[in-house]
Amino acid sequence: MSNTVIKFQNVTKKFAFQSQKTFKEFLPALIKGEETSKGFTALDNISFEIEKGESIGIIGPNGSGKSTILKLIAGVMSPTMGKVEVKGQISPLIELGAGMHPELTGRENIYLNGAILGLKKKQIEANLQSIIDFSEIEEFIDQPVKHYSSGMYMRLAFAIAVHVNPEILIVDEILAVGDDAFQKKCFRKMEEFKQNGVTIIFVSHSLEQVREFCNKAIYINHSKLIAQGEVNKTLERYKEII
Amino acid sequence: MLYNETMLAIVKEIRDIIKWRELLGQMVSREVKARYKQSILGYFWIILNPLAQMLVMSFAFSIILRIPTNATGNIPYSVFLFVALLPWNLFSNSLSSACGSLVGSASLITKVYFPRTILVLSTVVAKIIDFALALTVLVVYMVAYQLPINLNILWVIPIFFIQQIFTLGLSLFFAAANLLYRDIQYLLSLLLLLWMYLTPVIYPADLVPEKYQFVFQLNPMSVIINAYRQTILGGGMPNLVSLSIALAVSVAILLFGFSYFKSREKIFSDNI
Repeated sequence: MSNTVIKFQNVTKKFAFQSQKTFKEFLPALIKGEETSKGFTALDNISFEIEKGESIGIIGPNGSGKSTILKLIAGVMSPTMGKVEVKGQISPLIELGAGMHPELTGRENIYLNGAILGLKKKQIEANLQSIIDFSEIEEFIDQPVKHYSSGMYMRLAFAIAVHVNPEILIVDEILAVGDDAFQKKCFRKMEEFKQNGVTIIFVSHSLEQVREFCNKAIYINHSKLIAQGEVNKTLERYKEII
Repeated sequence: MLYNETMLAIVKEIRDIIKWRELLGQMVSREVKARYKQSILGYFWIILNPLAQMLVMSFAFSIILRIPTNATGNIPYSVFLFVALLPWNLFSNSLSSACGSLVGSASLITKVYFPRTILVLSTVVAKIIDFALALTVLVVYMVAYQLPINLNILWVIPIFFIQQIFTLGLSLFFAAANLLYRDIQYLLSLLLLLWMYLTPVIYPADLVPEKYQFVFQLNPMSVIINAYRQTILGGGMPNLVSLSIALAVSVAILLFGFSYFKSREKIFSDNI
C-alpha cells in the first residue's frame, strides 16, 4: 500500500485572459479576427508526490505558481492538463477568515466557519470552548466580528481552522502577519500536528521558517518545477539561482 | 447518453448536499440572520415590504385603473393581488439573490472546497423562510375578510413545489452565468420587471385575449400564479393540463440549469 496522499502527474494550468476590456474594443477585434483571449501558463508540466506525514515547503518568487498549486490541492481549481490526486480531509489556512461574516458574532462565525471546513455541529459544540480559549477572545465572543481588531479576527479564524483535525494542512503565508506571540503559538500547534502524522504543505518567503519546519521542499520558478527533495538541498539550489 | 450522465450527476450532487447539509443549514441561517442586523425594525421588514407594495399597488390598480377581479367578483382587489404578489416576490427575490450568490462568495470559492450548489440553494431556501413569514399577513387578511376556503387549498402544496423546481433551475443558470459575465445581473432585473407584466399578477388571467393565451400557457409562472388564485380564492381545482405542462417545463429548466452550472463549475475559481 502506498503512502502517497498528494500526487501531481504532469499538471499544467493555464488561464485565459480577455485581451479587450470593453465591448467597444471586443467587437471590432472579433470582426477583424484578432485574438480575443490571451493564455497564461501558471504551472507547466509539474509532477511530484507527497507522502503521509511529510512537511513540505513550497518556495519560489512571487507569481511563480505557488498559490495555484495550493488551490489545486484544495480542490477549488482543476488542472488544464494532467492529474491531481488528493486523499484525506484538508484544512486550508489560506488567507484566514475567508468565510467570516462581519455582521455575525464570533460565536455564530465559529459555527459557520466550522461548517464551511466540513465540521459537524456536534464536533463544533464539543470543541467550542477549546476554540474560544485558543483564540483568547472570550469576552468579545458574542460581539459582531466587524468590531474585532485584525489580530482578534485572525486568532479566531486560526483557532477554528486548527480544530478541524485535518489529515492535510495547507498553510499559506499566514505567519507573515500577527505578532511574535501569535506566530509562536501557530508554530507550536503546527508542530503538534506534525507529531500526530498530519501532512503539512507550507508556503513561505522565509527560508528560515521553511528550513526549521519542513523536511522536504519544492522549488518553483516561472511556472516550472526547478528542484524538489530534501529541504536543505532544495534551499541551496534556490540560493544558487537567486 | 447525455440524459444518463445528467441523472448520475444529479444523484451525486444530492448525495454531496446531504453530506454537507449542516453547511447548508449554516448558510441559510447566515442569510437570514445577517440581513437585518443593525436595523431597528429587523425581521419586521420582511412583512412591511410586501404590505406596503400591496397597499400602493391596490390603490393604483383598483382605485385609479379599476382592474376587475373577474368571476370571483366579491373579492377585494387587495387580496386578489396579494395572493399572486407573494409567490411572485418569492420567485423574483430568489432569482435576484441567487444571481449574486456565487459572486458574493468569491473569497470562499477560491479557497475552500464544498459543493458550489449549496451557495445557490441556501439563498433559495432563505427566501422561502421570508415567504412563510409574509404569508401570515395573507392568512390574517383572509380571516379578517372571512373568505371561504375548501380542501382544494391543498393544491397549493404541489403548485409551490413546481414553482420551486422552476426557480431553482433558473437560479442555477443565472448564478453561474453571472459569475462569468456580470452583464447577467442587469439583464435579469430588466427581465424580471418585464416578466411580471407578462404574468397575471396585477390582472386576472382571463383578461388576456384568446389569441395571446398560448404565451401564458408556456410561461410556467403564469400558470403557477393563476393556479394559486384558483385554489385559494376560487376554491376550485387548478387546470391540471396547464399545471402538467408547467411541471414539464420546470423540470426541463432544472435539468438545463443544473447541467449548465456543472459544466461551468470547474472554471469558477479561474474566472471569478
